[in-house]
Amino acid sequence: MSDTTSSRAFDVVVLRQDGPGRPSYWQRFAVPYEADMNVISALQKIAAMGRTADGKAVSPVVWDCNCLEEVCGACTMVINGKVRQACTALVDRLLEDNPEAIELRPMTKFPVVRDLMVDRSRMFATLKKIKAWLPVDSYYDIGEAARQSQENQQIAYELSKCMTCGCCLEACPQYLKIELVRHEGESDEAFHARETEAFFRSFMGASAIAQVDLFNTNPTGAMTSRDRLDALVSEGGIQVCGNAQNCVQVCPKDIPLTTSIARMGRAATVHTLKQWFDR
Amino acid sequence: MQISDCASVFGRHEFLIRRLHSLSGLVPIGGYLAFHLATNAAILDGVAAYQHRADQIHRLGPTTILVLEWSLIFLPILFHGIVGMLIVCRGKRNLSQYPYTGNFRYTLQRATGVIAMLFILWHVFHMHGWFRWQWWVEGVARPLGGAQFNPAAAVTAPEVLQSSWVLVVLYAIGTLACVYHLANGIWTMGITWGVWTSPRAQRMANIPCMLGGLILAVVGMGALYGMCIADTSAVPAGGERPAHSHASFEPGEETVPGGIELTEEGRI
Amino acid sequence: MTRPKVVVVGGGLAGLSATMQLAQLSIDVDIVSLTPVKRSHSCCAQGGINSVNNLTRQLGDNEWKHFDDTVYGGDFLQHQPPVNEMAQWAPKIIELMDRLGVTFNRTPEGFRDQRRFGGTLYARTAFAGATTGQQLLYALDEQVRRWEEHGHVTKHEFWEYLGPILDDSGVCCGCVVQDLVSMEIRSLRADALIIASGGCGLIYGRSTMSMACTGSAASRTYQAGVHYANGEFIQVHPTAIPGADKLRLMSESARGEGGRVWVSRIPQDPRHPTEIPAADRYYFLEDRYPKYGNLVPRDIATREIFNVCTKEGLSVEKDRMCVYLDVSHLPSDELDRKLGGILEIYEKFQGVDPRKVPMKIFPAVHYSMGGLWCDYARTAAGGLHVGSPRNHETNVPGLYAIGECDYHYHGANRLGANSLIACIFSGLITGTGVANRMKSADRPLAAERASTLFDQACQGKQADYKALLARDGRGGNPYDIHQELGKVMTQAATVVRHNPDLEKALAKVHELQERAKTCSLSDMGNWTNQNVVFTRALQDMFPIAKTILKGALARDECRGAHFKPEFTMPHVDAEAPSERRRQAEAWCDRFEENNRKWLKSTIARLGPDGEPELSYEEVDTSLIPPRPRLYGIVGGEVIEEVWKERSRGAAHE
Repeated sequence: MSDTTSSRAFDVVVLRQDGPGRPSYWQRFAVPYEADMNVISALQKIAAMGRTADGKAVSPVVWDCNCLEEVCGACTMVINGKVRQACTALVDRLLEDNPEAIELRPMTKFPVVRDLMVDRSRMFATLKKIKAWLPVDSYYDIGEAARQSQENQQIAYELSKCMTCGCCLEACPQYLKIELVRHEGESDEAFHARETEAFFRSFMGASAIAQVDLFNTNPTGAMTSRDRLDALVSEGGIQVCGNAQNCVQVCPKDIPLTTSIARMGRAATVHTLKQWFDR
Repeated sequence: MQISDCASVFGRHEFLIRRLHSLSGLVPIGGYLAFHLATNAAILDGVAAYQHRADQIHRLGPTTILVLEWSLIFLPILFHGIVGMLIVCRGKRNLSQYPYTGNFRYTLQRATGVIAMLFILWHVFHMHGWFRWQWWVEGVARPLGGAQFNPAAAVTAPEVLQSSWVLVVLYAIGTLACVYHLANGIWTMGITWGVWTSPRAQRMANIPCMLGGLILAVVGMGALYGMCIADTSAVPAGGERPAHSHASFEPGEETVPGGIELTEEGRI
Repeated sequence: MTRPKVVVVGGGLAGLSATMQLAQLSIDVDIVSLTPVKRSHSCCAQGGINSVNNLTRQLGDNEWKHFDDTVYGGDFLQHQPPVNEMAQWAPKIIELMDRLGVTFNRTPEGFRDQRRFGGTLYARTAFAGATTGQQLLYALDEQVRRWEEHGHVTKHEFWEYLGPILDDSGVCCGCVVQDLVSMEIRSLRADALIIASGGCGLIYGRSTMSMACTGSAASRTYQAGVHYANGEFIQVHPTAIPGADKLRLMSESARGEGGRVWVSRIPQDPRHPTEIPAADRYYFLEDRYPKYGNLVPRDIATREIFNVCTKEGLSVEKDRMCVYLDVSHLPSDELDRKLGGILEIYEKFQGVDPRKVPMKIFPAVHYSMGGLWCDYARTAAGGLHVGSPRNHETNVPGLYAIGECDYHYHGANRLGANSLIACIFSGLITGTGVANRMKSADRPLAAERASTLFDQACQGKQADYKALLARDGRGGNPYDIHQELGKVMTQAATVVRHNPDLEKALAKVHELQERAKTCSLSDMGNWTNQNVVFTRALQDMFPIAKTILKGALARDECRGAHFKPEFTMPHVDAEAPSERRRQAEAWCDRFEENNRKWLKSTIARLGPDGEPELSYEEVDTSLIPPRPRLYGIVGGEVIEEVWKERSRGAAHE
């Protein structure tokens, strides 16, 4: 390390929690500064040091990450008060905003597994609820896919970039945390079933609504659009949206979430009227 | 068990309830608000004009008024308010963390909703009294300072308002809360129902919504101003002023089951 | 009724396509993945996916040419029947992916748009924006979720594979896994186990690969007796953005549009790059290759950038090797129009505007062509027997390897945009084969076997885990050891390889391995212990690291991504035509001799002492005879002439 940088260190404060249901606590780490660092590399250094700023040996901070290119969606956390991906959170920028320290917390809308790692299985469960797939006949070579307009592709591509990171849900004032505690002697299956029911009945959030839009826009998906619209207007569906529009502000992939919500609002209106009058 | 039953009924019909909530905000509540503020703004032309407007409305007759009041105004407001309170309770506001315009409007929509709800509950009590049973009006509402307005003697409204500046401030806050809640509500309603979808369309739609809100705010504030400056000593021409308000009729006088006096009818 | 079950380790393109194929064939599948499968490394692929298509067909392209480009690009080190079959399937796979909803870019008429990629003359590459891998992965993820909803698929996400379970006869009948949240260790019974765990870039410390690409799953399978082939073939991408945490790709189009590569003549010049005068700027590619300039072929660019930093010590930074890639002299509006997307990536991760300040770039480890050895069933015509359970089966019966962690398809060097098609193809064909394996009833179902075998396997892993937790705190730091390993591997076994360096590296890696055996944990807890996961993965990096080094050390030639300056081909640069001719003859003699000696796959197996032992396997080149790769070689035309004459002669004999 060169002389100009070795003397410098910056503080990272982390809201830690040893496990579900355990109390959370703050810990401060002094991280040696290097050029071009992001929050991930700061956390890597913290893991390697295993010491707090005052020299106490502690277990490494636990966090979730994988691609570090902002395409996998794993490393979402609340950094200096805002939800975002840790991999694109550059230390230099964060210190410009707040030279005191970088503050890291786990997302608040999902149960904490440990430290900065949360359990986002609810998001994947919701994708099941809205049937976020194309029900193709088979994977055999049975012919060509439908042609699609460029305009259609451009809309679909934007929506399809959703990496299930959960930023939109963390920032959404209508999306509330669900954390179930396992009953004494409850089996895995029973707990899972109870959890799925709770997930299905609570707000699906912007990401799932946009996925309904994505699949209903697809020529094949449109054939089963009714199933997805049924899910969209069920309990926890699009009606819970309160139009705060934070989702579109915090989405790291710039997905036009509010446009999708409005478009799906229209589809839900038409769908419900049809249900009444065409039945 | 019963609470969870309620929750599950609410849950099963969540979409319908939320859409009715959204709709009721515009029709009839929003429509009534505009009408109500415009009616009250007649006071700017003097107590007589105001009285004339009141008379026009009350020409419908107390039974019709009763039915209309409850079906088109009170019940929709109570429905909108109660569902609204549930919505407010089920949200977790985060404006300090995410200070975006949309979030500010969202938060303000909930704040004005709560203010409007409390204001309307009190305002109806204060001026109208909610119910017309005599025992209620005499025994409960009046002693608590409610049921102050007499449509037959519309001058009671400016009189009440001129009695305390605190009331004027409360009415100003309440009115503006209602107006913002309506104007912003129409804008979000357009998103909810899918009328304006793209960011551009939403920006464009915002202009008439906010403009309408501004006009309504001016009308509302004008009405309030008119109430404050109205000359209450001048008894309106053509309208006789009863010695006392309509609530002071003798017991045993004929009333409909809902509690509205039939004597008013005789005046028309 | 007990039903057969398959366990798939890894949920990237290969693992998911195998899963959905098996589910379609009514086989139950358990997926084990370190991350939710939607977050797998496949999502990082940007460019596209290759196949012949209606458009290129009318320009003379066909499946055979795609096949030919692939083996030529791979320096003929791959068995040809699987590659041939893959090229045949490729157009169908693209069609399938389109049907599954991949948002491929469209032409105005609504057809899939295609672009041209390196190593080919045809616009074969279908793409979905700049995130084709992500889009393909999502389409497969959605299908697997559909089967999960149907009850055919069970996902074990945030679970780690600890190794296969083999019965007394050496047949695979399951694996041991650990829940990385509760740290519970248990066995999964399987009638076939498919390893689809991807690459091993983290052995090099930082690479373009994701954090899950430690190679540990492949290594554990290797340590259980499966052979590892062509480990030394590691693809390095010339231009990546060096980050403190990982290296991110910077597209070559930056050079294509006029970007210039340079360093300051003063080592670690403290001046800001914009303040370094032209006289002090060393445009080393332009100086050394006046003809091609900054657009020299990929491997040459990689080597020169590497050399200027290591040998000549001219790296821009002291701690971190990098050179400048400068587009700041180009008009800003032109840059936005042509390179907008990629410049934004740089800006996003580096926080510097490359339109104004030169970018810092360095080559980065990108892909492992080698991997677990696996079989295939060849047809007489030179394709694969579709449906044969031998396809992609390793030397352990019932254990399969697919995707980046197998060794087929790419030979000594992978062609751009071929990895995605190889992953999906290997998954689909293996799904069919494995399903057929389930049909033969000559062995008991794993579910019906006695539990002792599985219990013992679990107990073994449980004991290892406990021992790891119980280490005293006096050993080395696993994170430091990993950094050192990365450094050693990057210096010795990436772009340029020298035997003495490789030998030294092997000794150093051995020393690090010994240190890792006693390194200590900073977290002894029994809940979501990432320290354990990391340390265990680190320990499992050494067998593969050694295999890479040993394979590279033994292979005294240059082939594809494996480059040893001491064994380069002679120059054909004489002025006089006759002398040139003679040189070309000598060149071709040397080429033939070299192929006789080295056109072989390196097969490594771990000996009883845990050290890799090498042997070699003949490559099936029966469909397209090997020929010299002459991309931009001086004297290439005369070599080609001589080679053609020889080939004709051989054909007449």
